[in-house]
Amino acid sequence: MITRRDFLKTAAIGGTGLAAMGLVGCSSSDSSSSTTESTSSESSSTESTSSESSSSEETTTSASTNPITDYVDYQTTANEMEEFVIHHSQQAKDLQVLVNMISSLVASDSNGNLVSSIAETWEANDDATVWTFHLRDDVTWVDVNGNEMAQLTAWDFVAGLEWVLNAAKNGAANVSMPEEMLEGAEEYYNLTAEMDTTEAAALAWNNDTFLDTVGITVEDDYTLVYTMKASKPYFDTVCTYACMFPIAPDLVSSMTAEEYLAIGNTTMWYCGPYIMTEYIQGNEKILEANSSWFGLDTNTTFNSVTIKMVDSADVAWTLYQAGEIDRCTLSESILATITEGTEYYDYLCESRPAKYSYQFYFNYHRHDDDGNPDDNWNKAAANEAFRLSWYYGLDLINYYKRTNAVNPLKCENNFFTMKGLVSTSDGKDYTDLVAEGLDLKDYDGENMRRLNPELAEQYKEEAIEELTAQGVTFPVEINYFIPAGNQTSLDSANVLADCFSASLGDDYVTLNIGTYVSSMNQEVRNLKRGGMYGSGWGADYGDPVNFLSQYVVESDNAYYSEYYTLINDFYGEDAAEPYNQELIDTFSEFSEMVWEADAISDDLDARYQGFAEAEIFMLKHGLTIPSYYDITWQLTKSNDYSKANSLYGIYGNYYYVNWETNTDGYTTADYAEFEAAAN
Amino acid sequence: MAKYTLKRVAQGLITVLIVATIVFLLMRMLPTDYYFSEEQLMKLTEEQKNDQLRAAGLLDPIIVQLARFYRNILTLNFGTSRRIQSGVSVVKLIGTKFAVSMRLGAISLCISVVVGVLLGILQTVQKDHLGDHIVTAYTIFVNAVPHLVSYSLVLVFGALVLGFPATYSSRNNTALSCVLPVTCLCLTSIAGYALWTRRYMVDELNKDYIRLAKVKGLSNSQIMTRHVLRNAFVPLAQYLPQSFLLTISGSLLVERFFSVPGMGPLLTDAISRYDLDVVQTLVILYASLGVLGVFLGDVLMMLIDPRITLTGKGDTR
Amino acid sequence: MSSEVAKSLEGKTEDELFYFVPYSSEEAESIGYSDYSYWGSVFQNFKKKKSAVFMSGVFIFIFIMTFVALAIGKYDYSELVTNSSLAFTRPNGEFWFGTDNLGRDYWCQVWYAARISIMLAAIVALGECVLGVTIGLIWGYVRALDSFFTNLYNLINNVPMIIYMTLIALMVGQSFLIMAVSLIAFGWLGMARNVRNLVFMYRDREYNLASRCLGTSLLHILTKNIFPYLISVIILRLALSIPNTISLESTLSYLGLGLDVNTPSLGILLRNARSYFLQFPYLLIFPAVIVSLITVTFYLVGNAFSDAADPRNHR
Repeated sequence: MITRRDFLKTAAIGGTGLAAMGLVGCSSSDSSSSTTESTSSESSSTESTSSESSSSEETTTSASTNPITDYVDYQTTANEMEEFVIHHSQQAKDLQVLVNMISSLVASDSNGNLVSSIAETWEANDDATVWTFHLRDDVTWVDVNGNEMAQLTAWDFVAGLEWVLNAAKNGAANVSMPEEMLEGAEEYYNLTAEMDTTEAAALAWNNDTFLDTVGITVEDDYTLVYTMKASKPYFDTVCTYACMFPIAPDLVSSMTAEEYLAIGNTTMWYCGPYIMTEYIQGNEKILEANSSWFGLDTNTTFNSVTIKMVDSADVAWTLYQAGEIDRCTLSESILATITEGTEYYDYLCESRPAKYSYQFYFNYHRHDDDGNPDDNWNKAAANEAFRLSWYYGLDLINYYKRTNAVNPLKCENNFFTMKGLVSTSDGKDYTDLVAEGLDLKDYDGENMRRLNPELAEQYKEEAIEELTAQGVTFPVEINYFIPAGNQTSLDSANVLADCFSASLGDDYVTLNIGTYVSSMNQEVRNLKRGGMYGSGWGADYGDPVNFLSQYVVESDNAYYSEYYTLINDFYGEDAAEPYNQELIDTFSEFSEMVWEADAISDDLDARYQGFAEAEIFMLKHGLTIPSYYDITWQLTKSNDYSKANSLYGIYGNYYYVNWETNTDGYTTADYAEFEAAAN
Repeated sequence: MAKYTLKRVAQGLITVLIVATIVFLLMRMLPTDYYFSEEQLMKLTEEQKNDQLRAAGLLDPIIVQLARFYRNILTLNFGTSRRIQSGVSVVKLIGTKFAVSMRLGAISLCISVVVGVLLGILQTVQKDHLGDHIVTAYTIFVNAVPHLVSYSLVLVFGALVLGFPATYSSRNNTALSCVLPVTCLCLTSIAGYALWTRRYMVDELNKDYIRLAKVKGLSNSQIMTRHVLRNAFVPLAQYLPQSFLLTISGSLLVERFFSVPGMGPLLTDAISRYDLDVVQTLVILYASLGVLGVFLGDVLMMLIDPRITLTGKGDTR
Repeated sequence: MSSEVAKSLEGKTEDELFYFVPYSSEEAESIGYSDYSYWGSVFQNFKKKKSAVFMSGVFIFIFIMTFVALAIGKYDYSELVTNSSLAFTRPNGEFWFGTDNLGRDYWCQVWYAARISIMLAAIVALGECVLGVTIGLIWGYVRALDSFFTNLYNLINNVPMIIYMTLIALMVGQSFLIMAVSLIAFGWLGMARNVRNLVFMYRDREYNLASRCLGTSLLHILTKNIFPYLISVIILRLALSIPNTISLESTLSYLGLGLDVNTPSLGILLRNARSYFLQFPYLLIFPAVIVSLITVTFYLVGNAFSDAADPRNHR
């Protein structure tokens, strides 16, 4: 009864944007920093994102059902909150909860559009260098008991920004985006970083230096103006991110910076839809509706939301069966048991993709375990024919089945940028622009669209010939690392290894699975040990440059070039090796294309076209191998398509506002309807 | 005895201090990048990282750090949590958690000692008969099936068949919600107590004084309770104080599994998140309890069995 | 006195009947001859426990199977490939134990894992036993060393094992050997303390005092006077250590501190099976049966051997 729906349709939803939950400033999601197991999902940080929301017209549910008034959600223990200062946290596990407790200037709706929140209206000047926000005048701060503590004005955003930019207060957390965009932000940060720590921490939130240096101006109590360094046509999307949230000046000035960093649910002030009345770490959190919330006139909230912490997806499944929680994401094994035929069979709902676009990255400067460059791998990775033989030959269907056993091809990703991030003025998704430049086949429901076995074979032969001449020995070993003790990752890696062996041949490449105990960064990446990394990027703000600029060369902010591909190692005098000169030229050309596109700020369509061309260039030269989208299965009593849906910022599918719910749980048919309506 | 006690206390304190130092040094052996979350590692520049490390005092020479550590311990300043619950003092953090673990632990300890010893007696009385075999089968089962699996069984049957709450709740039905975690905690320890009670009792049964008691015409039950059990309980008693004190530390697996907000997962979480103050405080706490437990165990053993001397006549101890 | 003897004594003088035997130091020490051998009797007694003997046979069979099964299986562990269309195949003629969640043959996985687990458990149990008993005897008997060992015990025992295991995994790596050595390094503590407590109980008994007065050497007292009392407890502990190691290994794997990824163990198989056991019980049953058989064997054999080891039960 679960039919394979037309994949192309799904792929083309785009437009106003698909799903996403707000992950954090940097939303690469391959890491699992703890030694604790997360049996449930690929990685603990993506686990939280797996039930999805997306655009939809309000679809009334078929059955006569009652909405839930007290919703019970869950998170795995690895995703327990660690802190309550929204400006300081860089982790989805904190922000996805805190976004319910503090509101920002703008929010995301279920279509992925920006909607009014504290700011009623906002506009930019012609070259998008000055943004003006007009605030509501009925926003109040309340304490944990709901007592009104203060009125929220434009000054509260000044206090918030000062906190973020003050190195002694916020310790550089979340500072990169304002630094990159706002006038004077970098200067103020450097100033505070160089000052004596206690002195800088003691600076008032409205100190003159800050007001004079940084491009934030309060025109009147309810008019806020941001001045950019350069044209930033997407600045309003940045306002959904943690660094742009307000802080109550009365609260922050009543305590030291250290004390403020230690606030908890009972000491913080709230201006969002919910108040956290109970926080029992590792057990549960209770969010109760904030009756003073300004948005109540146009939005609906639950009376209360309880978030239970559970050990794993297996436990969540038991809790769902016992009726203790209202949603559960299905791990592969549970999905298999349900499809064996149980009463839940008709209630399987497919989630929408999380906001991550997953890729396989080559490390062009791999070092072996003794710390010497691994020339065999580096030469192979630098060879374009070698990379393209993967691009055209690597059949990942079985790998996709690990994420989505029912509709594996829905997970196929052919782009670097996440689909749905932005669209052109005529409503065409950005990734469609990219697709036009790639020779993707039509979706046939059986094969991946980019595969081309003949071409792959041709490139393989070419690669073997060229590389043998350079002294490379076959099979080339691909070193790939997973967290130790995580059976789910191990299973996926084993499937991946078999994908390589089946589509490219054991005599050509073999996948070596290694493990790290605690930290991917520390144990693998810093030592340059990985040959190929799997990682997903989710946008920080709504513009393709946020994706593509992570891959350009000679930029400290280019996350992937700096930490994964290590292509930056080859820039500088005599740094290049003879075998990778061609690769370096390709990367340079790609980077130029990105910066050229970024320079276009007056015509968004032309800007996106420019980025699309850079991305096509990147994919056609095999600089990255797109892998998958995170689309899983769940049992749920809430309609994902009614949830806030943004590919950037921190509003996501754990923002408990305007949810449609159903005490009986949604059926597969219901969700198919929602999905069709959303398309 | 007083002198001996004093001596043991002093020794204990030294042990705790050494343990704390070892852990302090071990944790410093980890590279400083563990200080940051994976997300931070992605975003922070080397400079920003160093700023934070310097502010936390982690770049000081190890001697300086150690001196500061001792000073803090002496002033009973155990620091603040960084990652478990950012900014909250460690004492407060542990304060909210230990009572939960201890309550569950104490309940299950009582249950398992009583039930376990009773089962052990039953086994001894029924040696090589039905009762013995049934308890033996139980012992074998809980030991044979890894804990993770038996806990899953308890969870599934307890929650889905018997309808107990599947996770711990401090707000409603606390007593009911404790049933499954306590069951899991007792599962293996009952078997342990039964096993060792049987072993020690069977050993005692063969001793000459029992034959004498039989010859004297004491009833079987008198022999069992007055002689055999009492003697067999001596080696078991040794572990009781320690077991009781260490209920504070909770059980990692059970507490994770049933979302009990206790101490169990705290240490592993703190280690994996490099939350140094929490790790050190926990280790000091556990070490103190451990040392105290061994001492109390020795004392208890001596009280029950007068033949055992700890101080030793004329011995320097 | 029989008549023949009486006859032979007839007519003999007193000197012929009674004379001095020359002093022989060997004969002075010798006690009435007996064909009693302690271990022989232990073995004789053990053989009487039919269930224990039978289970030993079963265990030996399992152990041999861990080698034979891999040879006769249709799939080779090192060449297993994933195949999602075969996932969760129930046991059949092709896959004798069915397939796992990735469609890989379960038969060879179970037996290979069994071999690893048995080897690990046996090595750890022996290591713990040798180290633990030796240290425990000295610790318990030599008062001067008591505080040293008590402190050593406290030091090692009070630093949570998880810290050591994390550091070992991070700095040394993860492998079978490392795992075995680290488990022994922490496992002897329990055995040693148990032995020490028992030694405490027997040390000052009269027969030991007497023995000491007669100048018996320390080694002799430890091995001949005290050790036999401990055998039953040691054997039981040894027997229980084997299932404990299997269980501990699976907990460590759960925390990511276990064996390396390419080394399966029964603990890991059981841990994985907990997600499936309601729908696909065979995934739990096969490894669980093997673990149970091992546990039962060592429990029965341990108990039977303990009983047999008690000299009062001999003859």
